Amino acid sequence: MRTDSGPKQQMSSPAPLHRTEILEHRASNQTHEGRPNTSIEHRDNAKGEHTSRPDALSARLSSRGDLTSFLMELTAEVGADSYMLVAIVHDQDRSDARIISSNWIFDAIELIGKRLIANLAQGTLTAAPGVRPRPLVAAHAPAANGLVDGEEARLLDVLGHSEIYSLRLHVGRQRLFVLFSAAEVGQIDEPTLVKAQMKCCYALSRIPQLIAAAAMQDPLSDRERECLFWVSEGKTTDEVAVILGVSSNTVNSYITHAIQKFAASNRAMAIATAIRSGII
Amino acid sequence: MKNAAFKDAAQGHLNDQQDPSGQEPNRALGIPDATRRCRWIADDIKASAFGLFFVSPSPERARLVPCLDSDFPGTGVATRFIAGANGEDIVRHTRTSTAPHWWADDGMPGSQGAFLALEWAERIAPLVPGTNGIAFPVHADRGQCGLVIFMGPDIVLPAGLLYDIHARCFALFSAVAGTHPGDAGKARSISKRELECLKLTANGNTSEEIAKLLKLSVHTANQYLTQSAQKLNAVNRNQAVAKALRLGLIE
Repeated sequence: MRTDSGPKQQMSSPAPLHRTEILEHRASNQTHEGRPNTSIEHRDNAKGEHTSRPDALSARLSSRGDLTSFLMELTAEVGADSYMLVAIVHDQDRSDARIISSNWIFDAIELIGKRLIANLAQGTLTAAPGVRPRPLVAAHAPAANGLVDGEEARLLDVLGHSEIYSLRLHVGRQRLFVLFSAAEVGQIDEPTLVKAQMKCCYALSRIPQLIAAAAMQDPLSDRERECLFWVSEGKTTDEVAVILGVSSNTVNSYITHAIQKFAASNRAMAIATAIRSGII
Repeated sequence: MKNAAFKDAAQGHLNDQQDPSGQEPNRALGIPDATRRCRWIADDIKASAFGLFFVSPSPERARLVPCLDSDFPGTGVATRFIAGANGEDIVRHTRTSTAPHWWADDGMPGSQGAFLALEWAERIAPLVPGTNGIAFPVHADRGQCGLVIFMGPDIVLPAGLLYDIHARCFALFSAVAGTHPGDAGKARSISKRELECLKLTANGNTSEEIAKLLKLSVHTANQYLTQSAQKLNAVNRNQAVAKALRLGLIE
């Protein structure tokens, strides 16, 4: 089959290594949420470098452990108590949060639920880089916006997330969200938060495979992505075939694969899924 | 002097706009205003020239498409040089990373200390020979991707300013990207019914299913879709769905 030649040209094909990291992450998700101290060694390492280089951006950042210690340091820097780094995955018009790293206690995640976390992360209060961040204050949340209802707000408050900032991060074309929360309203320092947002973008840019694997946002091969892009630009199968210099059967098979990978029912839905997850 | 006063006034105005809604401010920013805002950023790091580029969305043609530069309303030599060069590396970098890139022409006096804040970032071959420069990757909320480039012999980036400057580039780009598609004006005339049909199409429903769900005839559902495609300046419903999503008309 001609389609087999396609995936070879991938530039960003995730190496098999990452799969183990996802699994490791999933496993650790359960155990390590409640015990943020597991990475204390890493943390000391990073601190050591921190003193010599003011921005710690040259510090080693290659494993999940490094990521955790980096985020914990950042959390302390902005004056927050908890952090959560999430990717949003789209399923039709619903969104779910895929938690990449967090020091929220396990019960909080279970009680609040991934759906609500996704809403918090990408809701109306989320700040893009360069936009002044605004917090969700649990005490006045139900009145202020439709993100959470009264019961959920009370729950957040009780669990120590009285004030939550959501920041949008861009790591290349990947979109991620980081939530910083604190038990006291006004505890988080806003100017530092703005810096932390860019710092996070830079740091995560250095571990793109780790992020991509954890987020698992892009299941497509380069060829499939290209085909889907041209179809989203309104090109017909025959036109895409001419553009890419392959036969229209090949184009159709790429697109069929893309549709299958997204569990979509047709081209329009595959396009919508790809755009919603920022793939094309 | 006059310029500085105007700048302060206008910046105050911008901040006012940001506060109440907090949503991506200044959505509709024209090229002249955007150029002015970019010049303020350039002034803060003593850059003599700047350029804002879009990274073409096509995965195949990796190139930078100029949007505005310091020679507005003309196009600067540097901009033409960058757009004409083979930008494959920088485009790939922009798509996968948000870290800035910098270059320094070592023959120039003072180029050593100019980028202390960027010691950790990757140094690249000069995009324009004979200058110092920084390239900031930027992204907007609908997946648009771009590069803001600053150049000049005296350019200097103090450590404390890096995050602030990059964040302002992000804000500028998202304001420019919001106005970039020429279809936005027409798109406002799309009716609620047409949007409903588009949204259902994006969720994988066929015309027949849409007709059933909205209690319309298949013919009417198709007509709504055709009309919305026309209003979005799209050739078929696949493109209409893509455009509506990218413009934020449907979620």
